Amino acid sequence: MKLPTRDRIIETRSLTKRFTSNKGLFGRSVSVSAVNEVSLDIRRGETFSIVGESGCGKSTLARLLVRLLPASEGAVLYEGNDISSLSEPEMRRLRKDLQFVFQDPFSSLNPRMTVGALIEEPMKVHTSLSRKERRLKVADLLTKVGLRAAFANRYPHEFSGGQRQRIGIARALASGPKVIVGDEPVSALDVSVQAQVINLLEDLKAEFDLTLVLIAHDLAVIRHMSDRIAVMYLGEIVELAPNDPLYDKPLHPYTQALMRAIPIASPHGRSMDVSLTGDVPSPLAPPSGCRFHPRCPHATSLCGTEKPVLSDAGGARMVACHHWEKIAENSQGSVREPPRSENAEKRFALFREKSQRQEPVTAATETQIKLSERSHNNA
Amino acid sequence: MSKAIDLNATPVLSVENLALRFKGAPANIIDGISFAVRPGETLCIVGESGCGKSVTALSLMGLLPRSVAQIMSGTAMFGDRDLLELSQRAMADLRGNTISMIFQEPMTSLNPSYKIGDQIAEVVLRHKHVTRAEALQRALQMLDRVKIPAASSRLDDYPHELSGGMRQRVMIAMALANDPAVLIADEPTTALDVTIQAQIIDLIEELQKETGTALVMITHDLGVVAEIADRVCVMYAGHIVEDGPVESIFDDPQHPYTIGLMSSVPSVGPRSGRLATIGGMVPTIDHMPSGCRFTPRCPFAQANCKTSPPPLDELGPSHRAACHYAPLETAFPATVLQEAGS
Ligand SMILES: Nc1ncnc2c1ncn2[C@@H]1O[C@H](COP(=O)(O)OP(=O)(O)OP(=O)(O)O)[C@@H](O)[C@H]1O
Ligand SMILES: Nc1ncnc2c1ncn2[C@@H]1O[C@H](COP(=O)(O)OP(=O)(O)OP(=O)(O)O)[C@@H](O)[C@H]1O
Ligand code: SF4
Ligand code: SF4
Ligand SMILES: [Mg+2]
Ligand SMILES: [Mg+2]
Repeated sequence: MKLPTRDRIIETRSLTKRFTSNKGLFGRSVSVSAVNEVSLDIRRGETFSIVGESGCGKSTLARLLVRLLPASEGAVLYEGNDISSLSEPEMRRLRKDLQFVFQDPFSSLNPRMTVGALIEEPMKVHTSLSRKERRLKVADLLTKVGLRAAFANRYPHEFSGGQRQRIGIARALASGPKVIVGDEPVSALDVSVQAQVINLLEDLKAEFDLTLVLIAHDLAVIRHMSDRIAVMYLGEIVELAPNDPLYDKPLHPYTQALMRAIPIASPHGRSMDVSLTGDVPSPLAPPSGCRFHPRCPHATSLCGTEKPVLSDAGGARMVACHHWEKIAENSQGSVREPPRSENAEKRFALFREKSQRQEPVTAATETQIKLSERSHNNA
Repeated sequence: MSKAIDLNATPVLSVENLALRFKGAPANIIDGISFAVRPGETLCIVGESGCGKSVTALSLMGLLPRSVAQIMSGTAMFGDRDLLELSQRAMADLRGNTISMIFQEPMTSLNPSYKIGDQIAEVVLRHKHVTRAEALQRALQMLDRVKIPAASSRLDDYPHELSGGMRQRVMIAMALANDPAVLIADEPTTALDVTIQAQIIDLIEELQKETGTALVMITHDLGVVAEIADRVCVMYAGHIVEDGPVESIFDDPQHPYTIGLMSSVPSVGPRSGRLATIGGMVPTIDHMPSGCRFTPRCPFAQANCKTSPPPLDELGPSHRAACHYAPLETAFPATVLQEAGS
């Protein structure tokens, strides 16, 4: 599966991040490997997604990729260069090329800066555009993300969650990046708004030739957006595969369990299955051998002692399981959504057709734009 | 498939025309909603953030002070009593007893400084004539029933010693300790991972089967709705815009909001093109449209939608939608659309 370097925009090699905390007995400091020996390649132009349950290390991995966090061990290569040992100018270029979109559109924007100033800031640092050119580009970016140029003079608190996420995206685009890493960029949004932002990200990706690294826990969002997917469990990648094969035939028992736990939005597909019992073990004391073995229905004594290595499973897939071949013979957990009824199809098509002829964002009235604070978003 | 519910059975809880207004607000936050649940039935209330799901639940539980949220109209019959008329005291006797609630964030209703066994026992002691030892016995039994491993060793745990999924189980144990006739669950799995969500939903369904408790489940997740509901109410901006049996809602969605919501959710099946979107966002109380509250976002809206509120009309067996133009294909034949679009 080795690709020529020019096709690999980001690589990680045995990337490890340990946090030390004082949670141990008697205040003894203990160390958590939030990310443990992760090696992966991200290809130029793809949407690469990382999925896994809470605490499995997704955000930590994402932050390592763009050097928002230093690695404890191993390396991240950007276009073939180790990002931990870059010269000043190279570092500046890295900051320009790799941009991050945060989950929480409410806390990631400085409330005292206008939207225009927020979007302009990265241009000041990374481009030699004149003041006037920057202003024009701010207006351009605002329209690109489906907002109005006039919004440049407003402050973030005057916008709704979906709009703030658009502002965050406009800001990420301002430096002219090659890669955007989104840490749950749509998780905090309502479904109808989430769909707007997903479409926007896809459009921008095509328009600006971006590589997208997407962190999410929503398996439907990932299915919709990704080219390839890495499944994480307790700091490690347990399976890595192209989109369709992963959903059609998950190989790793953990991926299979995840797939079976998805509630399918059809009353004819009531299939959600409790295939996993128990909780994710504490990362402070990860299980020996295969980290999944205490919850795995296929575990053998080998699994408790020997750590499975992420290895080639054919078809551009990788899996870290001692017994994947045997398990694959009667693979369960492929996701099946029953077909929709004729009436539903008909009306969905009608809705789509009708709504495409409206400008979704500009249709919002000025008064709607200013959302009074929603109680739970005040945090 | 949903379980067989006797649709002629008398509802245990029947809400009629409930309207609520926050002090000083220019419009009702809940504006004339009606729904009912029967023994053993699961009713899902689905809608996006801010549409009034939690406010509805809290008002039924008597947890919204009347000084803050004024009841403008309606009844909520629980047996022969109207919950909206009960005194604080009478309501406190029912709460946690014959009608209970599970909250989205378990830490808000678990007291961090009490052992979980004592907290469950307390709920039993509050409502039943039992000794402390019997109440603790019941607590143990409930922890067992919600499948907390080694329950007896967990009685003395404090909430912070439990994982999110375990805390939610404790909440369920507490809510069901007195065999309530109605359980209101406000997004009980939203904060949980899918594998834990599957465990909790499975558990709720199993317990419901055993006890015949009527379940009102509040959620914004259509997958959860499809998985668990017998009947569904789709809520938008304080109105119920569509209700019906779960199969009708998914197979024969009638209201433009229901349709928009369903088609904007990505599917776990193979990709089928761009997602549909609903433009704009849920209106705030200060800018509540008169007439149909969905008008500013509705791709089908016509002039009269702005002024006249559509009634909930029967469109199928116990299936209703509040739209002047449902069924849409009759009002907007596809051919006309294509011509207009070209
Ligand atoms: N700064 C930190 N100090 C100590 N431990 C940390 C720190 N950041 C993360 N961790 C721990 O590392 C592990 C991975 O955390 P991370 O935030 O990467 O998970 P995640 O997959 O993004 O989870 P979520 O889905 O909840 O966002 C967790 O056990 C977390 O508690
Ligand atoms: N005590 C209160 N005083 C004034 N307004 C309130 C109060 N509680 C809630 N609201 C408002 O009422 C509306 C409905 O809130 P509610 O919590 O019922 O929404 P919800 O449908 O449960 O949303 P979510 O999915 O986010 O939980 C919101 O606009 C909210 O800001
Ligand atoms: S290595 Fe063993 S325990 Fe781990 S996933 Fe495979 S079968 Fe299960
Ligand atoms: S009544 Fe009018 S605005 Fe309301 S949903 Fe129907 S078509 Fe849309
Ligand atoms: Mg995270
Ligand atoms: Mg709520």
